[in-house]
Amino acid sequence: MNPKLWGRNFAVALLIAAFAYSGSMVWKHHREDAANSEVEVIRLAHWQLEPGMREAFDAIIADYEALHPNVRVKQVNIPGRVWRQWLRTQLVGGNPPDLIEVANYLVSDEMFARYFVPLTSYLEEPNHYNSEEPDLRESSWRESFVGELVPNEAVHYYSANLLEYYAVPNAMMTVRVFYNRDLMKELIGSDRVPETFAEFTALCEALKIGAREQAKRIQPLAGSIFNTRQMTASLARVVTQKLAIELDYNHDLDLTMFEGNVAYLRDRWSYDTPVVRQSLELIREVCRYMSPGWVQMKREDAMLQFLQGQAAMLATGTWDASGILQQAQFDVGIFQFPEIDADNEHYGEGSLGPISESNTFGGVPMALSQTSKHPERAIDFLRYLTSRRSNTKFSETSNWLPVIKGVPIPQLVEAFRPIADGYIPGLSAQSFGQSPDKIYDSHVHLLSGERASVEAYVEATRELYPKAIRRELERMAKTYRETIRQKDSVMTGLYELDKGADLARSKFDIVSAKQLEVEALMLQSQRTIEDYPVDD
Amino acid sequence: MTDTMKIPGTRWLWRFSALALLLAVHSVYAQNGASDEGWRLLSRYLYADAADKFQGNDAASKLGLAASLINKPPITQGKIKEAEGLLREVISQDESTDVAQYARYLLVRIAHLHRESAVTEIESGYRDVLAMNEGSAVAQIAASHLALVLLYQRPDLSVEERLASADGLAPMASRAALPEVAISYYRTLAAAAMYYGVVDQRLVTWLEAARALISADELIRIGVSLQLAEISRLLGLHEKAVGYYREFIAEAVPTDQRVNTARLRMEELEVTP
Repeated sequence: MNPKLWGRNFAVALLIAAFAYSGSMVWKHHREDAANSEVEVIRLAHWQLEPGMREAFDAIIADYEALHPNVRVKQVNIPGRVWRQWLRTQLVGGNPPDLIEVANYLVSDEMFARYFVPLTSYLEEPNHYNSEEPDLRESSWRESFVGELVPNEAVHYYSANLLEYYAVPNAMMTVRVFYNRDLMKELIGSDRVPETFAEFTALCEALKIGAREQAKRIQPLAGSIFNTRQMTASLARVVTQKLAIELDYNHDLDLTMFEGNVAYLRDRWSYDTPVVRQSLELIREVCRYMSPGWVQMKREDAMLQFLQGQAAMLATGTWDASGILQQAQFDVGIFQFPEIDADNEHYGEGSLGPISESNTFGGVPMALSQTSKHPERAIDFLRYLTSRRSNTKFSETSNWLPVIKGVPIPQLVEAFRPIADGYIPGLSAQSFGQSPDKIYDSHVHLLSGERASVEAYVEATRELYPKAIRRELERMAKTYRETIRQKDSVMTGLYELDKGADLARSKFDIVSAKQLEVEALMLQSQRTIEDYPVDD
Repeated sequence: MTDTMKIPGTRWLWRFSALALLLAVHSVYAQNGASDEGWRLLSRYLYADAADKFQGNDAASKLGLAASLINKPPITQGKIKEAEGLLREVISQDESTDVAQYARYLLVRIAHLHRESAVTEIESGYRDVLAMNEGSAVAQIAASHLALVLLYQRPDLSVEERLASADGLAPMASRAALPEVAISYYRTLAAAAMYYGVVDQRLVTWLEAARALISADELIRIGVSLQLAEISRLLGLHEKAVGYYREFIAEAVPTDQRVNTARLRMEELEVTP
């Protein structure tokens, strides 16, 4: 046969086979539904493919199905890298799963309003699955969560614009350092955990020397941009806590990224400010113990390096705990990264003490789609999933931090318990928004390796930061403007709906107030850009 | 049965009239239903769906359609102009109504944020809304937005003049009709002063006015207490500062990172009053 003709026929056959397969799957799906018309099927979609997570959901689903024999709950696991496209397709296609994991950077207010069910009224009712818990049975479902689901703007389960809860979280996340006990004993004869930053750097140095003496290619720290950011984020913020109070022109002890950027353009701080340089020095001190080329590495590469015994320590979050604990062929320990306190000889001057993690909010939030065929059943499953009993099982199986009050933290991940008694975070030298962060990522190699130099970093970025921070303020002003414009329409609707009754404390009153505050921020950005120009 | 109905042919006339009346009543209710649905969709960010519901020729439908069009994707200058035309029609039909005042307010908002106009046009636009009915809720939000224009968009004024002119709008912007808006107005006055580096007794006055109105949002309430503590501290009003620190610590939500820092700063004042 002519090869061209053969190739064409093969392609057509492949197409027909793919079509036939898809058709048979759709037919099978419909047949299953028809055969099980008595059975309520709830589909639960999430992107948490880390080891332990699916098993945790499966364990709770099995319990729930035993309790409700006419219900089937099916997990739909979608990789995070295709989640955004997958979600859009599902929602627009009109047949999304009943319960879907959401995040505020993936789901806009418009999408929440169009495709999801507000859960506020459900959350104010008690969770009947906690009826045997004396301390929870009188509480509302919302009050049964650690932190009681405080509705601030950073969380993923609440829309500050729509003033509604749209999701129910299942776990909490913090970042700690995992370490290879066997390797540490082998290299330095001890697996003692450092308690101060000085002890931490001394440990890294000892590991480096130990590896060299034993002619082993082992690094003290496994690294990637992702992991380094996790580790250095709080470290850099500790030494600038007092500066943050000075720069916080709103005087509410909360230096936002916005205020930090405004203060920068107004020349209130720069990378020459002594404590900001100190924060870069701290990053340098950590980065020099990572393997060469870590800047190009991905999160998975760092994990592999640690699991293969090529690095003694790895900083990562609760999400990787089960994976590491299951896959490591060595004895794993976990410790909290030693903070700088005010007594530290070199770095203590600008510090107040460890940063509080009391604002750690619930993750893995599940929302209910508007097209769910069994909304009440889906909500009932969410109640079951977040009952104290189930959250205990969830936490024990997944090794993620529990999100319900009174659920014990599994012993293996006790070190992840959020720090409740710390202080406010300071200014971060590495996190000022999209444009400035790109500068950090593309120059952080200057803070790494044997020739690492803060001076080199500051000089290389001196001309870049002012323009990037101005661009960031322009971007923020644009985002604020978009939000404000949308609210002009929304408020017209609210006004016409609410005006027949008392408008005081109505949704119209509340949303109008929020719009004013966002508008003030937009105008502050514009005023700053105009009054403090940056040369191009 | 009345005598008139016994007249041949009249019965059909009666029946026809009753049917017409029923149809008229139904159409009015159906239209109201559609409008209510339209307002509901609009309040939930569903602009395109809302636009389909506002097809009537009455003032409310025109206002609803205009409000939908300004955000109906894709947003175009043509739609913005069409919305402005509809709003002008509403105002020209009867300027004395509540719908007309909202239409004028929306017209200024379009000039202010949907197509950037000269500040003089925006300022006079807000003042026109106030002139229509100073005591209304719409006037209250218009006054609050006008305050923002004066605070940030009048570089020809000195900082003192900006603050004083915005403060002068208090009788309208701080009315009890919309307490959350009133709180926001006082907070934005204080925020502007702090942005310009002004820290004086006025800040305490504005923030205490906001505090007295007791926001429904607990995060705003505790935030104001902490700002009052910090500003009182800066002004040397240590006793007052300690009182507000205490209030903040007592009311802070469990997820607030600032509690220990506030306690530390309060203790500093208690040691060195």
